[in-house]
Amino acid sequence: MTNKALSLTAAGVETEVMPVRGRVVKSKGMRDLLTFLMVFGPGLIVMVADNDAGAVSTYSQAGAQYGTHLLWIVLLLLPVCYFIQEMVVRLGIATGKGHAAMIYQRFGKWWGLFSLVDLQLVNFLTLVTEFAAINLALTKMGVDPRYGVPLAAVGLVFLVMTGSYRRWERTVVFLCLLDFAWFAIAFRLGPPLGQIVKHALVPSLPAGGITPELMFLVIAIVGTTIAPWQLFFQQSCIADKRLRFADLKWARLDTFLGACVTITAAVCMMIAGAASHTHGFRFTDPAQMAADIGTFAGPVMRNLILLMMINAAVLGTTAISLSSAWAYGEVRGWPHSLQLPWREARGFYSLYLLSVAAAAGIVLIPRAPLQLIILGVQVLAGVILPSAIIFLQLLLNDKELLGEYANKPWNNWVNWTIISVLFILSLILAAQVAAPNLFPSAAGGPTT
Amino acid sequence: MATMANPIDMQAGKDHFVVVHPLDDVLETKVDMDALGPMPMTRSVRVSLLSLRAYLILMVLLVVYHVVMLAR
Repeated sequence: MTNKALSLTAAGVETEVMPVRGRVVKSKGMRDLLTFLMVFGPGLIVMVADNDAGAVSTYSQAGAQYGTHLLWIVLLLLPVCYFIQEMVVRLGIATGKGHAAMIYQRFGKWWGLFSLVDLQLVNFLTLVTEFAAINLALTKMGVDPRYGVPLAAVGLVFLVMTGSYRRWERTVVFLCLLDFAWFAIAFRLGPPLGQIVKHALVPSLPAGGITPELMFLVIAIVGTTIAPWQLFFQQSCIADKRLRFADLKWARLDTFLGACVTITAAVCMMIAGAASHTHGFRFTDPAQMAADIGTFAGPVMRNLILLMMINAAVLGTTAISLSSAWAYGEVRGWPHSLQLPWREARGFYSLYLLSVAAAAGIVLIPRAPLQLIILGVQVLAGVILPSAIIFLQLLLNDKELLGEYANKPWNNWVNWTIISVLFILSLILAAQVAAPNLFPSAAGGPTT
Repeated sequence: MATMANPIDMQAGKDHFVVVHPLDDVLETKVDMDALGPMPMTRSVRVSLLSLRAYLILMVLLVVYHVVMLAR
């Protein structure tokens, strides 16, 4: 329906506007609920997509090696990922621009190019690992990956090329909601509830205490929960959705709920890993873990875990490819919106298509150096995460840019603490990967 | 500078409210990035960027060390 309403522009000028479509509701409660549902999306998507194939692997390995002992670390990451992404929400709503464009404009060409190239590289390598996971899961399900992987790639391309942001968002939110299947998996396989609650709320160490292997896994968990592409993705997504200042509180709620869902799903993945360990299986990869679980929980459970692994990789792929395409489009000044049809944003869609097609193609090459690619992802992620977060923190303290939306002193205390910890962990992780001889006993650590 | 727009665009009358999807709403005026130009190089910004450069140099050295070790 069409309605006439009053609006204040950001400059404070009252204007009469004619919204194209609006919905009339009779109570404030319904107004709030409907507004939230309209704003809802970017926060949930960025958080759930962060539980990509690499995350499934890391969390299930943590469970397979240390049972439920590391649940409290995952729970600690809930406020961390919320605080970081909340800053992105403020930045996106206040400026209406993407993160890459902002770094370019506020810090100059050198830092802009550095961030962009680093992001594109690490994103592409991560995409290869997503398709490698699809390949692995399809093979375990008895589907020929030579057909399955290209089919997944074609589906991912069609998902974004509808010329409608809303259509893309609804489909991806549906895929995100499928993540609730992890709850069913954990419920079916899980240890007693008391043990889960105890290990989630009371910090404890597994038998053997702090070892280099444990440290490496903890760093991998942190690294997989907070990824650089998330900053770029959510800000661009908010800009593309054209969220308004009045939407800020709902966008924060969206992000918080997304953080709760992703952390709970991570806990469930860890519980699944712990179940395979309890039955005496040794962890090699999540697809094998699913097959192992199938031997005592039945084929339905095996196929469900494999399907969830594919879903995680699909969500990761669409979000990561979009963060690359949005970032490149912003910096180059190309039209870069999911609202645009192909003919009006050829560069933006071509970049998405190329990255998806190339990543899928590499996975299908026999004897492709996947281990080298995973190593590259770890090193580059170690480089880009502290850089991206430093830029984010500086931008959030930029009163000229954000005015009343700039960080408050308490925000800065929290954020600098998070940044310091991330900096140290990223440095240790990257040092471990780049120079394994520095930590000889930690060789053969997990992949992220 | 960005300012909070009054959410009265969702209120069309006293007994009912009109809720508009962000994509259907009129474009909101945001901060003009082009007019702002580059960020002023205050001491904290300079120290942060210098620390970042030092961190990146250290990372490059680690990778070079790794390559040298592999080559030996």
